[in-house]
Amino acid sequence: MTEHKIATQEEWQMQRDELVAEEKELTRREDELAEKRRALPWVPVEKEYELETADGKRSLSDLFDGRSQLLIYHFMFGPSYEAGCPTCSSMVDGVDGLLPHLHARDVTMLLVSRAPLEKLQAYRERLGWSIPWASSANSDFNFDFGASFHEEEMRKGMPPEDQLPPIAARNAKETGTDLVSYISEMFGATAFKLEDGVIYKTYATTGRGVEFLMGYYGILDRVPRGRDEGDAFQTWIRRHDEYEQEEAR
Amino acid sequence: MPQHETGTHEEWHTASSELVAAEKEHMRAGDELARKRRELPWVPVEKEYEFETEQGTKSLADLFAGRSQLLVYHFMFGFGYNVDEQNPGCTGCSFVADHFDGVRPHLNGHDVALVAESIAPLEELLSYKQRMGWGFPWVSSLGSDFKYDFGAAFTEEQRESGAEYNFKFNDHPEWPQREGMTAFALQDGAVHRTYSSYDRGVERFMGTFGYLDVAPLGRNEKTASDWWRRHDEYETEGAQ
Repeated sequence: MTEHKIATQEEWQMQRDELVAEEKELTRREDELAEKRRALPWVPVEKEYELETADGKRSLSDLFDGRSQLLIYHFMFGPSYEAGCPTCSSMVDGVDGLLPHLHARDVTMLLVSRAPLEKLQAYRERLGWSIPWASSANSDFNFDFGASFHEEEMRKGMPPEDQLPPIAARNAKETGTDLVSYISEMFGATAFKLEDGVIYKTYATTGRGVEFLMGYYGILDRVPRGRDEGDAFQTWIRRHDEYEQEEAR
Repeated sequence: MPQHETGTHEEWHTASSELVAAEKEHMRAGDELARKRRELPWVPVEKEYEFETEQGTKSLADLFAGRSQLLVYHFMFGFGYNVDEQNPGCTGCSFVADHFDGVRPHLNGHDVALVAESIAPLEELLSYKQRMGWGFPWVSSLGSDFKYDFGAAFTEEQRESGAEYNFKFNDHPEWPQREGMTAFALQDGAVHRTYSSYDRGVERFMGTFGYLDVAPLGRNEKTASDWWRRHDEYETEGAQ
């Protein structure tokens, strides 16, 4: 029998009513935070960047693709990786179906990684995504926006392996690279605005700040067992074409 | 020059650092709420419900499809935002449902089944599902009390005498249906209702808003739904 408290509909309803009040409060605070994000000053991006895309070399302003807002997800796929980061992949799974709605709001969304374009394209095809993906292999872009670190510095500054969360070693293995190379890439999102031909950086986030891209967490937060992952967070995540094989093992 | 305040990287960084502290506090408040949700008591579902599915008639317990947790989205069909004979699925619910397929492998891999239910003949649901290119299971609750019992549809009598929606009593609900999501747990063969959310509570299943909330112009909407279209309708709109 379950350890969980069982109740009548009326008892549940009473407790649910109280929780709804708190949920509404949190939603309103979320609205306020969104307002504060938009109030951040915009920073002109004065350096020129050139990224490789399926349509050839493109500048940062080209990447807006005719829209005025650009949201870049810094996808962990370094030059030595054989495959993309599984956690980043799980986020992109959720983005692909939403692109028409984002475009309708004047937002272009794009992945950028430091691996060569051919590697990115092959992986994108494997996972069946339609979102555009640019390579910053020959650019400072990733380093300037905190999405890549030089391996020598990483090697000097990195914490002992047993102080890293278990997901780091697991994803290093899953991407076919070593731990240092794996964590020399960093996940994050950066938002830009194009106005009168000038590009501005408006917002950037990393860490748990990218949970807005992890739609499954918002859903798991509402099912009976929740995220159900503890300190080994995200280690249950597989690439979407790998779950069945996992079950069959 | 843009109307918006501009600054140096250092000014932006200082302002962003303050914002990050507020975002972290908000994140922890969200974790705390998630914990409280899991503490809600579970209510045994004693009534039997039957659904028409692509694999024949199924019970609520069958919809778990071998998993222990089930989410059911109460999808408005034949009623809702921008609905007509050619476009029978509610535009808002279609927008919500556009979020399902990408996360479904991960939810299924983590012991959660996700299905949508609507009061309409199964063939009509399947035809609309095909048009939208969706893969999630969609079942018909036509002829069942299911959507009514879980607070997302209202009988004519309720619309006269009042009914509850989103944990608030309405004297005269003007709508026969509304959107919502209900979570269930299956334990030792018994189905329990654990959680329901409605109205803006459903925004948590709509990642698009989270993306817009970090974009420079935000949600950028006059009214909450003025810009929503079915995903295959935007281009036509743009070309006009």
